[in-house]
Amino acid sequence: MRANEIQRFTYAERVVHWVVGVTFVFLLLTGLAFSYPKLFWLTSLVGGGAVARVLHPWVGIVFTVGLVFMVVLWIREMFLDRHDVEWLKAIRHYVAHQRDKVPPAGKYNAGQKLFFWVQSVSGVVFLVTGLLLWFPEGFLGLDPFGRGTLSAMRFLHYLATLGCGLFLIVHVYLGTVAYPGTARGMIDGKVTRGWAKLHHPQWHREKTGS
Amino acid sequence: MSNALAIKRISATPTPPPTIRSSPEYAKLVDIARCIGCKGCEVACKEWNELKVEPTVNFGSYQSHEDLSPDTWLLMRFRETEIDGNLNWLIKKDACLHCEEPGCLYACPAPGAIVQYENGIVDFNQENCIGCQYCVSGCPFDIPRFDKTTKRVYKCNMCIDRVEAGLEPACVKTCPTNAISWGTKDDMLALATGKVETLKERGFANAAVYDPTGVGGVHMMYVVPHGNRLAEYDLPEDPVASPGPIAALGTVKKIGSYLFGFGIVGALLHLLAVGPESPENESGVPGGN
Repeated sequence: MRANEIQRFTYAERVVHWVVGVTFVFLLLTGLAFSYPKLFWLTSLVGGGAVARVLHPWVGIVFTVGLVFMVVLWIREMFLDRHDVEWLKAIRHYVAHQRDKVPPAGKYNAGQKLFFWVQSVSGVVFLVTGLLLWFPEGFLGLDPFGRGTLSAMRFLHYLATLGCGLFLIVHVYLGTVAYPGTARGMIDGKVTRGWAKLHHPQWHREKTGS
Repeated sequence: MSNALAIKRISATPTPPPTIRSSPEYAKLVDIARCIGCKGCEVACKEWNELKVEPTVNFGSYQSHEDLSPDTWLLMRFRETEIDGNLNWLIKKDACLHCEEPGCLYACPAPGAIVQYENGIVDFNQENCIGCQYCVSGCPFDIPRFDKTTKRVYKCNMCIDRVEAGLEPACVKTCPTNAISWGTKDDMLALATGKVETLKERGFANAAVYDPTGVGGVHMMYVVPHGNRLAEYDLPEDPVASPGPIAALGTVKKIGSYLFGFGIVGALLHLLAVGPESPENESGVPGGN
């Protein structure tokens, strides 16, 4: 590691992040294809509608397992505190790149923490509704064929997708083009000190003592 | 394209259906009062459609099978019940009703897997089916059945291949008592009205035509002798094509599509407005940290 670098993510964290990330993008694209006839062509990317339908739940299982590991790895760092509330109140300035008016963030800012919680809670919704949709003739003795039950499951499954999908757009945008140097933290695990000082000043202080 | 196969509705397809020609709507009329329970229609259905024979088991009913299956598109359901102190046999010809507003088609996410022809027949194209079974939950009559081997869904297609050739469906053809009739929807409605009148004269005060409006009417109607006992016939009182959750899903998907769009466009506009933010910008020294 060079002198101007700080370790941000461990190998395990990076692997888990990409397991969840890659499977989620797969699930999002195939799911959108099932939701929007105009996007059905996306299924051809994975071999057609029937193939997408078969793969979607299995990939969902991998996603869920990844998410469990992610929660285990990160949950202690993700609880929001008073500091985060202040940060959220100043989000307007954060968006406008007025750093001097934004309370200094720790290792994760409140937006990242919220993304974690939206993704985790949605993970439970995805799993429960997804299993019922996967085995509509009855899962674990349940008979969800009461008229409208499965449609309600589709509704909840979509709602969770909407929440996660919107956060994902922001996450990918900020992590790549908007904040150069960020994506690296999820590839080789390192970030520069300058990056840390700019985006996570509180964490920078803790890591460097300066 | 033959006129009989003119398509009125097509699943998961954003463009309008191709048909510019119109054709009369056809309908089957099942006069339950005339049914003698011979199940000849079940056999005719199996034969014409070349569906696998499924072994029957005695489960204490006159019924051949307990339920519909991917290989059994038509099942005569028999319910014994007591009406005015007498034993009555309530019979239902359980098969696709070919709704004018097909809940299955509305629920289907696979383009072209479900079509509705101008003549009113709702048909599954298994080659386009992705096996999600949303049609099963979308059907108010619990008709479509999923095949675990082929992973596709099957149901009565009203012998579309016969109808196309100007013939009546196989069950109609075979019925020895003319309990099943076939013709234009208008003719069948007129026939049904006459049959109900006759039944009322014979003392069936509650005789009724079953052509539920919640699904826009159906293309397999019933003349029900005891019209006040629909539930006992296993006929839903008030079936609807798009129940609450489906309608709500449609609305939230519409809103969602705009939010996703705004999200992507918003991110691009934000980038153009304030540009990327990196430590280099702050210090003014390229690569300097």
